Amino acid sequence: MSQRNRLMVLLAAAGMLFAATAQAQDYPTKPITLIVPWPAGGSTDISMRAIAESASKVLGQPITIDNKAGGGGTVGPATMAAGAKPDGYTISQIPITVFRLPLMQEVSWDPSKDFSYIIHLTGYTFGVTTSAESPFKSWQDVVDFAKKNPGKVTYATPGTGTSLHIGMEQIAAMAGIKLTQVPFKGGAETNAAVLGQHTMLQADSTGWRPLVDAGKLKLLMVWTGARSPNYPDVPTLKELGYPMVYDSPFGIAGPKGMDPKIVAKLHDAFKKAVEDPAVIATLAKYDMVPNYKNTEDYKKFVVEVTESERKVIDTLGLAKK
Amino acid sequence: MDTLANVVHGLGVALLPVNLLYCFIGVFIGTLVGVLPGIGPISAMSLLLPVTLSGTPESGIIMMAGIYYGSMYGGSTTSILVNIPGEAASVVTCIDGHQMAKQGRAGPALGIAAFGSFIAGTFSLVALMLVAPSLASIAIAFGPAEYFSLMVLGLVVLTFLTQGSMAKALLMACIGVVLGLVGLDSITAQPRLTFGRIELIDGIGLVPVVMGLFGVAEVLLNTEQAIKRDIINTRITQLLPNREDWKASAGPVSRGTLLGFFLGILPGGGAVVASFASYALEKRLSKHPERFGHGAIEGVAGPEAANNSAAGGAFIPLMTLGIPPNVVMALLLGAFVIHGLQPGPLMISQNPGLFWGIVASMYIGNLMLLVLNLPMIGMWVQLLRLPYNVLFPLIILFTIIGVYCSSNNVFDVYVMIAFGVIGYFMRKLGYEPAPLVLAFVLGPMLENNLRKSLILSQGNLMTFVERPISAVCLAFAAMLLIGPLLPALRKKRELVALDEGA
Amino acid sequence: MSDQTNVKLRLDNSELWGGLIGLALGLFVIWSGLKLKLGTINDPGSGYVLFYTGILMCLFAASIIIAAVTEGGPSFASRWENARWGKPVLVIVCLTAFALALEPLGFLLSAIPLMLLLLRLIDPVRWTVAIPISILAPTGMWWVLKHLLAIQLPNGMFEIG
Repeated sequence: MSQRNRLMVLLAAAGMLFAATAQAQDYPTKPITLIVPWPAGGSTDISMRAIAESASKVLGQPITIDNKAGGGGTVGPATMAAGAKPDGYTISQIPITVFRLPLMQEVSWDPSKDFSYIIHLTGYTFGVTTSAESPFKSWQDVVDFAKKNPGKVTYATPGTGTSLHIGMEQIAAMAGIKLTQVPFKGGAETNAAVLGQHTMLQADSTGWRPLVDAGKLKLLMVWTGARSPNYPDVPTLKELGYPMVYDSPFGIAGPKGMDPKIVAKLHDAFKKAVEDPAVIATLAKYDMVPNYKNTEDYKKFVVEVTESERKVIDTLGLAKK
Repeated sequence: MDTLANVVHGLGVALLPVNLLYCFIGVFIGTLVGVLPGIGPISAMSLLLPVTLSGTPESGIIMMAGIYYGSMYGGSTTSILVNIPGEAASVVTCIDGHQMAKQGRAGPALGIAAFGSFIAGTFSLVALMLVAPSLASIAIAFGPAEYFSLMVLGLVVLTFLTQGSMAKALLMACIGVVLGLVGLDSITAQPRLTFGRIELIDGIGLVPVVMGLFGVAEVLLNTEQAIKRDIINTRITQLLPNREDWKASAGPVSRGTLLGFFLGILPGGGAVVASFASYALEKRLSKHPERFGHGAIEGVAGPEAANNSAAGGAFIPLMTLGIPPNVVMALLLGAFVIHGLQPGPLMISQNPGLFWGIVASMYIGNLMLLVLNLPMIGMWVQLLRLPYNVLFPLIILFTIIGVYCSSNNVFDVYVMIAFGVIGYFMRKLGYEPAPLVLAFVLGPMLENNLRKSLILSQGNLMTFVERPISAVCLAFAAMLLIGPLLPALRKKRELVALDEGA
Repeated sequence: MSDQTNVKLRLDNSELWGGLIGLALGLFVIWSGLKLKLGTINDPGSGYVLFYTGILMCLFAASIIIAAVTEGGPSFASRWENARWGKPVLVIVCLTAFALALEPLGFLLSAIPLMLLLLRLIDPVRWTVAIPISILAPTGMWWVLKHLLAIQLPNGMFEIG
């Protein structure tokens, strides 16, 4: 490299640095895209829309939701990690599958390196439902049927490697039964699948609520620590003899290498959003409660959760070869 | 009588001045984004969602719904005038609509599209009021196996769209399926056919493919013709459909409406399949199928009615089950929830004012669209009087802006130019772009549902014929594939018989 | 020329080449499908559908090739007869240049020259007409998008637009 070229490179680098700081000062100057890696209309989608709506008031720029569903909620973050600029104008919801799938198979992203974690927001209430017309009246009926017909019980999940898939496999292992998973892309699809009795069961977050309320679906169990105040008659996993709690907490992140100033701005805006009573009310519709963690705690949490997931995956024999 | 009282109540809500205003703003923006190719209702609705939060839930949702069906209206305009479909559902409108425009019959084409849409829209709303709850079961009767068979039927039907060789159309359909699968696998999240390009991880966008194959390729093809310059110098004989046009279109509009309404109920792809199924149906029923592709008004009237009627049908699963059948409906669902309402089986009885108000406002919105669009036909037709050497650069400018706006990504502009070049050579060699585009849309659904149904049936292929809906779809597909061969066989047999007789 | 419009087994048979390209694409898709793993029939893998679509492509392409060889097809020369092939090439070159300039220069600075070039190259429009159109059309579109629909087109390194 000649002297002159080196100078040019230096100048260009300085210019970019300057541009970057200028960007952080004024950020945001245009609409921000928030990737929601689930189909529109599910519980994650709607709660993220409510949060984004509130955060956009703080930021003074609209936040547009981009639904990139598939791969159990990893297609969206993977796309962002691969291509988006770390300028704070593309961020994504990060479901737990982003940490879990890399343990199970070859993937294109590295959860410890490819993301700038921003803020941890909330978690889900999961439950297992079946159609109102199905012969299953309780979870015990399912276990009894599955013992006689191994592999015949099908359940719809929002994707391979999601907490619903892993959770059901853990339950099946403990109950000594074999179930067949059918991976859909998210809540709106699993609702239709179980309503039409294409699958016998649905394991998903609270997107099923209006249908359960209307008596079209039966809720067999919930995966929270205590019973849900909305469904006091439905047993928890623990009560059924499976000592587990699944809530799949989630937050948001941007591509790696984001300016800490921009991260801080986004963190503050989203923190205000999960404190907004209107947002809390929308979350409550899906039995979700805010579970705030700041940027640093979120990073630590990612390390912890990856470790605990590794153990579960190993015991289930789903780890990548 | 209950229904009538509800309708009156709904009209009361819809006719409130503030709701009328929101409705008008909605359909106006909808028409605007529909006419601008690439900027679909989705981006407009997600940007305007926050605006609607300031008013009552009724006004907000009335405006959002207005954008949706307004854009369905607007989409046909660019298809007919400059052969650029605004969205997948209007790809079929290009085939005969643009031919009509080239023959100086842009006015009747636009007119029949507007009237056909209005009639279909009205019908689907009446149906929505009367039978919505009982039709909800259709939406959930379709599981993976049924979708797979419906997609197969769809792919077979689309080969009827072409004039040329069947083998070429099928090859194009296969290429469309493959292009649709580029990107991360929706089941295992593995990258497929991305060639290491990060931009391709997300898959190839529909808008750049369509703009390239239709818009840019059309311009390239026209610039090389020194003598035959179709778009200009056409005598514009009439502005509205005449009596004969109406006579020809009555059947297609009513059949398209019914077809669209039922397919629109199905989550995913309903409107797209409806539009080209209607085209294929009309071609099959017509006494002069050879006119199709050369400016047959039936080929515009049927599909346009079908895709607007599908827009009405799409409300059924949302309003009755809370299951959004497409992204636009999901945005509406989001709007409902943020306003504190939960669409689902209980909504109609718990919030009758809201439900009936929205339905009534959609009817008023459809009327507004007709009033808004008819006078504009004259203006659109004037646009074709522009000399071609001014018109072409403008078309290119619009496609570039449309593609960029659909994704905010410069890579998509490259994709569009590449597909423009590919499309140019395809047309030169007699390959048509419509099957490719439609297969591109249906391909990912076909693959995903095939894999899910095989998991469900544990690898048993019989599942596709054992399930009644799926079996009917496949039987239709088989009939359509074998059907055209039969007359040929018969003719051959007759010839043989004659020979023997002589 | 006229006796060469329909050719059979000749190098300028355009049908034959169309079929060959289709066959090559089909083989590539089969190979990609195999590489992505087919999975089993009760749990099809990522390459399952690609593999079978590839096979179908090869079949259709083969039938096109057979038809091209037995019945013949129009030659390339006849397809481009009386066509000013230079014009599409010019348009493609302009578009490519525009695509490359779009990000660094921004929308307005790249679209205005593009419009001017296209207006003058396809079939020259008078300068007095071409210049106002090439400035007004992109600026007008840019204004509508930015102020009515809140969509920001690329503004490039000079931040114009």
